[in-house]
Amino acid sequence: MSNVDPADPVFRVNHLVKQFNGLRAVNDVSTEIHQGEAVFVLGPSGSGKSTFLRCLNLLEEPGSGEIYFKGGLINRPKADINKFRQQVGMVFQHFNLFPHLTILENITIAPVKTGRSSRAEATAKADALLKRIGLYDKRDVYPQQLSGGQKQRIAIVRALVMNPDVILFDEPTSALDPEMVGEVLALMKDLAQEGMTMVVVTHEIGFAREVASRVMFMDAGRVVEEGTPADVIDNPKNPRLQEFFSKVL
Amino acid sequence: MDNFWNWLQGCRTDFCDSFYLNFIKDDRWRYLWDGFWTTIGISFAAVLLGVLLGFTVAVIRSTHDKTGKLRLLNWLCKLYLTVIRGTPVVVQLLIIYFVIFGSVNISKILVAIVAFGVNSGAYVAEIIRGGIMSIDKGQFEAGRSLGLSYIQTMIYIILPQAFKNVLPALGNEFIVLLKETSVSGYIALQDLTKGGDIIRSQTYTAFMPLIAVALIYLAVVMQFSWLLGKLERRLKNNE
Repeated sequence: MSNVDPADPVFRVNHLVKQFNGLRAVNDVSTEIHQGEAVFVLGPSGSGKSTFLRCLNLLEEPGSGEIYFKGGLINRPKADINKFRQQVGMVFQHFNLFPHLTILENITIAPVKTGRSSRAEATAKADALLKRIGLYDKRDVYPQQLSGGQKQRIAIVRALVMNPDVILFDEPTSALDPEMVGEVLALMKDLAQEGMTMVVVTHEIGFAREVASRVMFMDAGRVVEEGTPADVIDNPKNPRLQEFFSKVL
Repeated sequence: MDNFWNWLQGCRTDFCDSFYLNFIKDDRWRYLWDGFWTTIGISFAAVLLGVLLGFTVAVIRSTHDKTGKLRLLNWLCKLYLTVIRGTPVVVQLLIIYFVIFGSVNISKILVAIVAFGVNSGAYVAEIIRGGIMSIDKGQFEAGRSLGLSYIQTMIYIILPQAFKNVLPALGNEFIVLLKETSVSGYIALQDLTKGGDIIRSQTYTAFMPLIAVALIYLAVVMQFSWLLGKLERRLKNNE
């Protein structure tokens, strides 16, 4: 990807379709995600927003349509998916930390094994990030000993240590106790304010309103409305959105 | 009281005589000693072969299940599992010795290692495959999402966890294998069981040699179970 035009968006998605057993979970979605944007994907359960997100780093293989990453088509047979994924972080609903590795090993395994940095570099970077989020004292313990909120913040650090161009968040607070949601959202907000490009699937409407630079509302696999949080969340035009937000806000 | 005392004395003399006859006279203990090492050697070599084979088959099978690739290899693996698990190990041992290696002069120990290793591999394969399948798919996705390749994710993320989960079952498989080698006598290989049986045929007493053989197996299995328990506890702490 040497001929990357800096003007290219991080992601350009053209007519993305993903079917499961004939059901179109993602139905003809087109959008662009630009550097520095915090795009929030909202919508009811089963609207295809997680599937859309998982298509972006090819955890789900798109049925049809194109996904361009920094100008390069990635859903083609010969694309170097591993190389591409090293530049796209992902944070999961259930954290998916590696239980057999210490916190430090969880964070450094990917940069070291993919050759993105030496062990010393990765460790130094991991230590700095752990200090930043106040979990440096946990570096040598195993994930089991952490709370949910701590686990998710470690998962975010695990993505950050790869220096990704964008981080995908798949309902990062849905599996957390309510009192742990705040610490994770605070970290995400910090990242957004530092200009980290992120795509966030969430049910935290209030958080989306506060942090999002753009909101996409999905229903039945389609993007129904897209725009600033003020437009989409506070003044939705579509009756489906009006109904949804009247129930959740 | 005197009668009882005499009876006890008689028992002791009988026991000592029998012990002497079965183990000391003509150095008969050597049958057990040599047989013991033969059994241990075959078992360890076979378990190594079995784990190697089983591991390979398990990775091929679960790669096929996960990605749909390796169809031909997967088919071969399934054939191997069906044939090996569908026929008795004694028959396999006899076929390998008298049919496959029938026309070449080959060490019986090697034949036994191959037979028991290939047999055990089929069971180990399904144990390890079960272990791989038991790992949450989020672990795999997390590894891949970080840019690790399929193989790297397998080696660094999935297999260490799978191995820990299947360790008790693998240990059990080793215990089964160790005792299964007692059929080596079918190809006139002098393992521990055969050793005891040779003594029996020479002394015409069954009790001493056979109980001794049983006790030796029991001691080995108990020792191994103890080691395995230690290993399991140690791995458990690493979490």
